[in-house]
Amino acid sequence: MRSAARGITIALALALAACGGTTSTGGGTASYQGKTIQLGAILSLTGAGGVYGPSSKKGADLAVETINNSGGVNGAKLALDTRDDGSDKAQSAQVAQTLIQQGNLLALLGPTLSNSAVAVHPLAESFKIPILAVSTTGIHIVPDCNFPKTDPCRYVFRDSLGEETAIPTNIKIYAAKAHPKTGVLMVANDDKFSKDGGTIVTKTVDQYGITLLDTIQFSKTTADFATPVTQALSKKPEVIFITSLGGIPAKIMIEARKQGFTGQFLGGNGFNTAVVSKQAGTAGQGAESGSAWYLDNTFPSNAEFVKAYRAKYSSDPDQFAAQGYAAILILADAAKRANLTFSDVAGDRSKLRDAMETVNIQTPLGPFQFTSAHDVKQTVWVILMDGKGGFNLLASVNPS
Amino acid sequence: MTQQVLNAIFIGSIYALFAVGYTLVFGVLDVLNLAHSAVFMLGAVITYSLVALHGMPFLPAAVIAILVCGLLGLLIEFVALRPLRRRNAPPISALISTIGLALIFVAIVEQATPGTLFSWLWQDGANSVRFPAGTVPNPTYHLAGLTIEGTKLGILVTSVVLMLVLGYVIRFTQIGRALRAVAENRRAATLLGINVDRIFASTLFLSSALGGLAGLLFGLAISDIGPYIGRDQVELKGLAVIVLGGMGSIPGAVLGGYLLGLIEVLAFVRFGSNVEAGVAFAALFLVLVLRPQGLFGARLRERL
Repeated sequence: MRSAARGITIALALALAACGGTTSTGGGTASYQGKTIQLGAILSLTGAGGVYGPSSKKGADLAVETINNSGGVNGAKLALDTRDDGSDKAQSAQVAQTLIQQGNLLALLGPTLSNSAVAVHPLAESFKIPILAVSTTGIHIVPDCNFPKTDPCRYVFRDSLGEETAIPTNIKIYAAKAHPKTGVLMVANDDKFSKDGGTIVTKTVDQYGITLLDTIQFSKTTADFATPVTQALSKKPEVIFITSLGGIPAKIMIEARKQGFTGQFLGGNGFNTAVVSKQAGTAGQGAESGSAWYLDNTFPSNAEFVKAYRAKYSSDPDQFAAQGYAAILILADAAKRANLTFSDVAGDRSKLRDAMETVNIQTPLGPFQFTSAHDVKQTVWVILMDGKGGFNLLASVNPS
Repeated sequence: MTQQVLNAIFIGSIYALFAVGYTLVFGVLDVLNLAHSAVFMLGAVITYSLVALHGMPFLPAAVIAILVCGLLGLLIEFVALRPLRRRNAPPISALISTIGLALIFVAIVEQATPGTLFSWLWQDGANSVRFPAGTVPNPTYHLAGLTIEGTKLGILVTSVVLMLVLGYVIRFTQIGRALRAVAENRRAATLLGINVDRIFASTLFLSSALGGLAGLLFGLAISDIGPYIGRDQVELKGLAVIVLGGMGSIPGAVLGGYLLGLIEVLAFVRFGSNVEAGVAFAALFLVLVLRPQGLFGARLRERL
């Protein structure tokens, strides 16, 4: 049963991939029989990013297994070498260095956190190895990975929906519905992802007539959120914007509800895991965020992914698993069309990079393409926490 | 503002309870037990595990967790401290060996997912969770615009009572006298017929049980249970508290805990979040400049 389901998924993914490549480089038929396409991944399996990294890994592993079980990429097997960076920027760069120095990897995935990407992506760029970010959502990830230098990085891509898209889309949808006038922003000030989210909220609210009464900053290691929440509620906001990592959004929601807050919570990618929804429980009910993915989407490329994931791991996937899975589909599609030689690694990396720019496939995230800036071009799913550890779909917004 | 003072008292109780265990070991053994934060974390994790994974009611689960944490204290003594003491290793070695144990404890929890060796203990990896709704009744009172939670009130009462009991035990009981004798002078205590090794073991047991209790109360009140709660959220603050209170002094740790909570909250309210930690630690620094031995520290002279 299981392998049959997987077979169908793969056939589907490959069929879709095959008819998707409108500007295919003309390869696609070259046989890679007996070869192995070596990929590496730098993920945060432990530490603060341990909330996300393991999901990315599971998604990517599932895609590798699914593709290999149904004939591979033009006959070649995929192999994925995943390393933990402990959510630490320095360790992340070190792991990337090690993987790159192995010399046989065609492309890299990761790293999990935007904070680490700042160190890892320029490294990959300088070694001319394609790197696909699967969960980083901060600003200056693509194309300007060498920020503050603005020249575009040619080898850096991402398939994760940036906060620059997710947060404004969410605020737009909510403002159109509820017309809030006031809000308070609660933002962790010692983490790139959170700070970037805060910057985006601050830049966005004006155009929807929302006044930010206060910006409450805190450290991501804050134990008790009673103090910041009391401070926020003393301004009597209609909306609390939360841009923070891990369990913090849940802790803020719980504390705010305890202190009698009845308004709305708005956020970004920090809301989008079942873990956060589960921890927030009823306190989180109705909390709204822009997401790259929605569990109950019924289009085939998602339905098959969810089914295969449940069969393999006996649990529901989340956004990060979907993005990890999509990343392997993207690399497989590009590899398929790249006419790889398997003898000239540098040349193959360059060919793969070129092919990645023209990826056009169906993924669990929806139809997938890269923008000219190597960022993701996909539908944004606006979701609400359901108070029971899951989410409901409120709206979907197609890319402009 | 009154609400913020209440907030300060609640978080101060947790700092105090955590720091009491820390300082007890330092006072008696002259080593910093840096595995204390990991035991704190395990107190919360074990209670959660018994309640959420094994369907036990909260109270017995809490009692078992506290006892297990006490036993972990013995493990720390037998694995990380005693062998080093036997070889007359300098205190810094004990510091490192307890850090090692802390890393192991944290790793066991963060690596535990369904289907792994420790899945009976923890299944959420690096994620944080909270107790299932309704595990402990948490009546929340709204009085004159103030929010007062039952669980936080419980923590306050538990901390104060425990610290009084501990104070009594140390001052007025036979074991307390033995403890103080060992703290004063290890060799003299041995000559007086006190079994120093046994005193060390009991100290570790007591300290770790208190640490575990602090952890489970933290998990209950803050709705945050996960492998990093000790390391990220109380370890450094606990150290600051015992330095502030005077290394090894129990009343000092209690007062230091509340003081740190208060300074932090006031700094947050008055100066904003950017400088909260800075102001808190600047205040600590100031106290130490004026009173280098800490608020209640008396032993500094002898130690030098």
